[in-house]
Amino acid sequence: MPVAYQGEAVGKEIQVLDRLRLGFAVLTAKTVTFIVRSLRLGAASVLPGEIASRIQPQLLQLLSSQVQRGVILVAGTNGKTTTSLLLSTILERQGWQVAHNTAGANLENGLITALLESANLIGQLAVDYAILEVDENVVPNVLPAIQPRLILCLNLFRDQLDRYGEVDTISRRWGQTIATLPSETVVIPNADDPTLSYMGQQLTQKVLFFGLNEPEQYLDEIPHAVDSIYCPNCGHGLEYQGVYLSHLGDYHCPSCGFHKGKLAINSQDYPQILIGLYNKYNTLAAVLAAQQLGVDDAIICDTIANFQAAFGRAEELEFNGKKVRILLSKNPVGMNETIRAVNDVGGQTKLLVLNDRTPDGTDVSWIWDVDTEKLVERGGTLVVSGDRVYDMALRLRYSQQGDNGLQLIVEEDLKKAIATALEHTPEDETLHILPTYSAMLEVREVLTGRKIL
Amino acid sequence: MNSEQLELTIGWLYPTLMSTYGDRGNVICIQQRLRWRGYKVQIMPLDQNSTIADIHSVDLLVGGGAQDRQQEIVMRDLRGAKAEALREKIDTGTPGVFTCGAPQLLGHYYEPAVGLRIEGLGLFDFVSVHPGLNARRCIGNLVIEVTAKRLAEELRAITGSPAYVIGFENHGGRTQLGQVEALGRVIQGLGNNGEDGTEGAFYQNAIATYSHGPVLPKNPFIADWLIQTALRQKYQESISLAPLDDTLATQAREAMFKRLRVNVPTALKL
Repeated sequence: MPVAYQGEAVGKEIQVLDRLRLGFAVLTAKTVTFIVRSLRLGAASVLPGEIASRIQPQLLQLLSSQVQRGVILVAGTNGKTTTSLLLSTILERQGWQVAHNTAGANLENGLITALLESANLIGQLAVDYAILEVDENVVPNVLPAIQPRLILCLNLFRDQLDRYGEVDTISRRWGQTIATLPSETVVIPNADDPTLSYMGQQLTQKVLFFGLNEPEQYLDEIPHAVDSIYCPNCGHGLEYQGVYLSHLGDYHCPSCGFHKGKLAINSQDYPQILIGLYNKYNTLAAVLAAQQLGVDDAIICDTIANFQAAFGRAEELEFNGKKVRILLSKNPVGMNETIRAVNDVGGQTKLLVLNDRTPDGTDVSWIWDVDTEKLVERGGTLVVSGDRVYDMALRLRYSQQGDNGLQLIVEEDLKKAIATALEHTPEDETLHILPTYSAMLEVREVLTGRKIL
Repeated sequence: MNSEQLELTIGWLYPTLMSTYGDRGNVICIQQRLRWRGYKVQIMPLDQNSTIADIHSVDLLVGGGAQDRQQEIVMRDLRGAKAEALREKIDTGTPGVFTCGAPQLLGHYYEPAVGLRIEGLGLFDFVSVHPGLNARRCIGNLVIEVTAKRLAEELRAITGSPAYVIGFENHGGRTQLGQVEALGRVIQGLGNNGEDGTEGAFYQNAIATYSHGPVLPKNPFIADWLIQTALRQKYQESISLAPLDDTLATQAREAMFKRLRVNVPTALKL
């Protein structure tokens, strides 16, 4: 395994001074974690990494290089957490030890904290794999230090442009940095995403595309929340044979001939985890990665069949004897897809919770890019809550095309909103909750009575 | 005139290229407020496939924000006779609302952070410059009082009080006004450039603003002003609009004013 070998070589070259500083950094970080947790200040998913990397700036590199079989990096706007969880579950079922960062802690310090968790007191790491989900904008900064064995590029949608630049710029920066990695690095991009397909086609590394081969899943029309329908090569408009979701689909450029990358996996050969077509993509990415690492197909299929959702990602809970399913909805594409999934499974009551805190993005105008009309046209009962409850209610009001008996309930107080939504949920149905990120944590807190952060 | 006979066509500038940050909410808002009152409404995308006749056929214009690359594609298309047609529409009083990227294109030019200056239509007497990748973006909730004289008066006739516009700004470029009148003065936020306290611009019946949100659903009096102005332009008579239930918009405004501790009248009397 060439990359793992390279990792060992780097590990042996660690100088005595570096080792001492590494040990001191790790010890400090572990102390911080201990204090934060024993004082119940939080989960300590970022701070220890921040402190330790001040003591040893090369920490990410020193830790990454010790991961026995290699680091797997998971990047993309949507699906990172679910894909990472599925892949780590598969690898653990194969008998490997896997380190993994907590959801949301996907900036550099969060990655370091995750690796530190698995390190002993002098900074030695004894895991087979580390699966790191990485914020899309941070990818170019951490790639050189991490030297991953596998890179999963799930998708690029518009998300929190208040923090970041543009989708085109991000994919270009990914491509430029990946190009500097060793030739044996395996890159697994989504072929259905034109910018990622283009990026993959330019790389000299080993590139394996995943994507859908299921024309019966085509949407009737291209949704509005679309970022990239222009050829990443020549700028001409792309021609779509069909769209699976957002700008993901089967396409080609009539001008320069650019087309979707050749799939290394047949999507029809595998079932999917959870609900929603977006989870089919997550499944395929994890499966292709697992195959590359030599996992038995039987283990892969069995893990898919028994998969338990990550926090709030199509997660199913029971509350007071009623079934609840939480579908994180944090950006236009994500929410279009959760609405599609909810409409597919049915049920007459939904709860929408819109917050505008830092992890959600402070700008809520994105809800006007969501096709909430598709949710409203089903009628039933819609309960809304969250910091920006009236903004969401206003969006829904403007989604109504004539009177279809829709009941819109506006409730500022989240606990009351949940209680009301449950009351309106018939015994044999599931209440679907569509929250933004911080709202999802709050909803879970109410439903499980526990904080997770 | 019977409202069922009246019809407006909304011209939507480059919907697939200029639709960052929910600005299509402005189109939805105008469309629904017309429908709820029993008017007919058409939406005409004005893009690469549009003809000059298409541009001339619209009664109202809406333009949104764009990423820099998309903005360049737009400017490559919007030149010559097409640019002239749009210029003529705005010059002759077709009402419109242009957010963020759209007004940058209607000014003299826009200088992006990277790459060459993008020449605009020069309709609005202002220039927009991005001060560089390291400069802070202007991001946050934005509250302004409309100061453009005629607009302020006409809005006061609709609401019965000074017009306070609430939205969310998110722009790298800074705009410096020339002779054109500002849309309003900043009460909360940064506005055109974060320095002179101005926000947006007002020319003929065209509103340029950095306010996303989108701006119309939460400031429905502006949507109604656009509708009223478009109807007057088209049918050459003053048509009064039936009131609508704007309780949710009022509540959304009140919640944000309260959070920002901005003390302004929130009535949306129509």
